[in-house]
Amino acid sequence: MEPAATKTASTFTQGVLTTRRRFRFLGLTAEDLIRVFFGGNATVAIIVLALITIFLLREGAGFFGQNQENLRIYRQAGLEYVDYMRTQVDGHTALTRELSALRLAQLQQAMAAGQTTEAANASLKDFDAFSDKFSDAIVPLRQLVSELTSGPDGDAGATAIKTKFLVAADKRVERQQLIAAGKTEAAAQVRIDEVDFEKELQPLLAARPAFEPASRELSASLTALAAKPPAGDFGKFQADVHTYLAGFPATVQKIAAWDFNQPVAFRQAFTSFLFGTQWLTASLWQDWYGIIPLFVGSLMVSLVALVIAVPFGVGAAIYINQVASPREQRWVKPAIEFISAIPSVVLGFFGIAVLGELLRKLSGVTWLDWVPGFPFSERLNILTAGCLLALISVPTIFTLSEDALNNVPRAFREASFALGANRLQTILRITVPAALSGIISAVLLGFGRVIGETMVVLLCAGNRIAIPDFTAGLGVVTQPTHTMTGIIAQEMGEVAVGSIHYRALFVIGLMLFILSLLINYGAQTIVRRYRISIG
Amino acid sequence: MDDTMHRFRTSATAAARRERTVFLLFRVATYLVVGCGVAVFLTIFLRGAGTVLQKEAPFVNTAFFTQAPESLYVFDFEGVHRQMGFREFQEFKAAHPAAKLNPETYIYSAGGIFPAIVGTLLLVVGSMTIALLLGVCAAIFLNEYARDGKFIRFVRLSIMNLAGVPSIVFGLFGASMFVVGFKVFGIQFFGWNTSLMAGWFTLAFMVLPVIITASEESLKAVPKGFREGSLALGATRWQTIRKNVLPYALPGILTSSILGIARVAGETAPIMFTAAFVVSDKLPWQVDHLTDMPFQGVMALPYHIYVVSSKIPQNAYTARVQYGTTFVFLLIVAVIASVSIILRNRLRNRYKW
Repeated sequence: MEPAATKTASTFTQGVLTTRRRFRFLGLTAEDLIRVFFGGNATVAIIVLALITIFLLREGAGFFGQNQENLRIYRQAGLEYVDYMRTQVDGHTALTRELSALRLAQLQQAMAAGQTTEAANASLKDFDAFSDKFSDAIVPLRQLVSELTSGPDGDAGATAIKTKFLVAADKRVERQQLIAAGKTEAAAQVRIDEVDFEKELQPLLAARPAFEPASRELSASLTALAAKPPAGDFGKFQADVHTYLAGFPATVQKIAAWDFNQPVAFRQAFTSFLFGTQWLTASLWQDWYGIIPLFVGSLMVSLVALVIAVPFGVGAAIYINQVASPREQRWVKPAIEFISAIPSVVLGFFGIAVLGELLRKLSGVTWLDWVPGFPFSERLNILTAGCLLALISVPTIFTLSEDALNNVPRAFREASFALGANRLQTILRITVPAALSGIISAVLLGFGRVIGETMVVLLCAGNRIAIPDFTAGLGVVTQPTHTMTGIIAQEMGEVAVGSIHYRALFVIGLMLFILSLLINYGAQTIVRRYRISIG
Repeated sequence: MDDTMHRFRTSATAAARRERTVFLLFRVATYLVVGCGVAVFLTIFLRGAGTVLQKEAPFVNTAFFTQAPESLYVFDFEGVHRQMGFREFQEFKAAHPAAKLNPETYIYSAGGIFPAIVGTLLLVVGSMTIALLLGVCAAIFLNEYARDGKFIRFVRLSIMNLAGVPSIVFGLFGASMFVVGFKVFGIQFFGWNTSLMAGWFTLAFMVLPVIITASEESLKAVPKGFREGSLALGATRWQTIRKNVLPYALPGILTSSILGIARVAGETAPIMFTAAFVVSDKLPWQVDHLTDMPFQGVMALPYHIYVVSSKIPQNAYTARVQYGTTFVFLLIVAVIASVSIILRNRLRNRYKW
C-alpha cells in the first residue's frame, strides 16, 4: 500500500473513531487488537527459527563435554596406548591384503596364459612360501596387542579397565538418582568401586619394554623378506613395506612417551568431531564421533546430483523461457513442477527397486567399460542416490532460473537483435549473462535442497560409513557412502535421550541447519549484489 | 548465383545450423527431465496397479485399502504353492493340524494399508489447520498492516530461511521440543511422546513458509482499488480486509495451500521420530477417551513405504505391498498436486482491473 493512501485512510478512520465510544482493552481499540493479533502471528516465523536454534543448541551443546569425557576414558583406561601398538598390526594386515591381491593377479595371468588351475597354483609355490613367512612375522606382536586388549583369557586388559570405569559411572548415577528420590539409606548401600587407573594399568605398562624388541624384530624380518621377493612385479609392494616400516620409530616413540594422566584438552572434543575420520558407535572398544566421513558423503552425493541437474535444469529453463512455443510452455512448466511434488521417499523406493539394479546392469555392459568405476557390484551407491537427487533438484533449479531469465528486461534482447545477433547469440551472450546471478542462486538453492534431502540418501546411498576411496578417481562415485541426513534418520530412533550419541546427532543437525542458513544467505546475497538494474 | 552472395549464405547457414543444434540440445534436456518424471510415475503405476486394481468388479482391491498390514506366510502344501496372511494362516493351520508347513514369513507383506492411510489423513488435516491459521494471519499482517521497516525485514528473512531448513532438522527439533519436552522450574512442558500432536506441530512449522508465501501472493493479487474504495467509504481497516480483501483472496490462498498439503503428506523425515509408528495395532480413535486421540502415534503412508522398502527383502512376495503402497501414496500426492496446479493456473490473473 502506498504510504500516502495509508496516511489519508488512517487519519480518516481515526477521525471516525474519536467521535465514537469504543471498546478498549489495555488502552487498545478493537482495531489495534486485531492488528496486534495478526502481528503476533507474523512473529511466529521468527519464533520458530529461534526455537529451532535453541533446541538444537540445547541438545547438541552437551555433546562436547561428553566427548571430552569419552576421550579421557579412552586415554586413562589405556585404550589409546593399545591403539598405538595396533597401528603396526593394522598396517601389516593391509600389506597382507595387498599380497593376496597380487597373488590373485598372478594366478589370473597364469591362467590367461593357458595353464590349468592346479598348474598355476603350483607355479606360485615360491609366492606362497613368501607370503606365509610374511604373515608369520607379525604373530608375536599381534599376540601382544590382543593380550593387552582383553587379557590372555579375555577378562583383563584395557577393555576390562574401561568396563570397570563404566560400571562405576553407572553406580554413581544410580546413587545420585536414589539421593534425588530421597532414599539416602539405599544410596549409601550402593557400592562404587572407584577405578585406580594407575594400578589397573600396571600390567599394560609392564608390556612396554617387550614392545620395542618385538617391533624391531618384525622390522628386521620384513626388511629381509622385502629385499628378496619371489618372481613378479613387487615394486609397489616393496615401496609400501618401506613406508610402513618407516613409521615404526614414531610409533615406538609415541608409546614410550605415553602417559595416562595427560589431560585431554577441551579443544580436542571439537577437533575429534570436526576432523574425525571415523564414525563408530555402539562399539565394544571405543566409540568415535567424527563427522568427516558423513560430510564427505553428503558432499559427494550432492555434487553428483548437481553435475547432472545443473545442465538439465538450466538448459530446460533456457529452452522453455527463450525458445519454446507458448503451447509447449503451457504443458512443460506444470509437468516439471509436478516432478517436484513426487515425494522423496517414493523416489528412494524407486532407486532401491528399479534404478539401482538398472545402473548396475548398465555398468556391466562391455562397451561401457571405459566409464570410470564401471562395472560396479553395489547397486546402492553415490551414483544411484545422486541421479535421484538430481531429479529432485531439477525443478528447483528450473523454476528459479526460469524466473531469473524472465526478469531480464526485454530491451536487452531487442537491442541485441537490432545489432544483428541471432537468437542463440542473444541467449548465450546477453540473456544468460544478465540472468547469471539469478541462475547461480538457483543452483545454490538447489544444492541446499539436495544436501538436506533425507529419504533418498537413506534408502539409496548404500549406508556404509567410510570416506570414499578417492584413489579410484572419478570411479569413486560408484562406491556406497553415508550422509549427515541419513545418519540422523537411521540412528535417531535407536539412541537413548541424553546419551552422547543422541547429542552427536543433534550436533550434526545443527551443522545442517547452519549450512542451510549459509546457503540461503549466499543465494540472497548473490541475487541482491549482482542484480542487473533496469535503467 | 554470384560468389559474394553465396559466401554470405554459407556463413549464415553455419550459424543457423549451430543455433538449431544447440536449441535441439536444450530441447532434448527439457524432454529428458520430463521423461524421467514420467518414467518414475509409469513404473510405479504399472507395477502397483497389480496390487491395487483387480479384474473383477469393483475393480479395486478393497481389502488392500481396508485391512491392517500382516505378515505373509509362503509355503508348499500338498504340492500347491500357497501364500496367505497371518490370520488366514492360523485358520489354515487349525484346519490341518497334522501338516508340517515350514512357511517362510515376510513381515508387513500381506493385508492392507488402512491404518497408514488414516494416519496420513489425520496428520495432513491437523497440521494444515494449524499452518493455515498461523500462515494466513501472518500473511494478512505482512501484506495489509505492516509497513516496510526493520521488523518486517527480519520477519521476511526468517520466513525465507525457514523455507530452506532441511526437513530432517525439523524432525530433530520436533523430537526434542514436542516429543521429549523440557522442564522449566520443575514444570514439564510438552513431552507428548511419539504422537499426532507432535507430528502436527512439526509439520505445521515446516510448511509455514509455503503457506505464508502463497497467501501473500493471493492477497497481493487483490487490486488496490478494492481496499481504497472500502476505506474511502469509511470502513475500518479490519472491515476492509474482512469484506473486501479476504473473500477475493481466499480461493487463491486455499488453492496455493494445496501444494502445502502435498508437501505435508509427502514428507517422511519430520514424522519419523515425532509421530510415526512402524506398526500399530490400534487405530488412533480406539482409545478410552477421545481426548487421548491426539496423543497417539499413528502409522503413516510415507513412513510405511520407508519401512517396507528398507526393512524387508526385495522379492516377488514383498513387491506386492511395496509397489501397492507406493502407488496409493503417489496417486494421492499426484492428485493433490495436479488439483493445486490446475486451480492455480485458472485463478491466476482472475482479477484484472
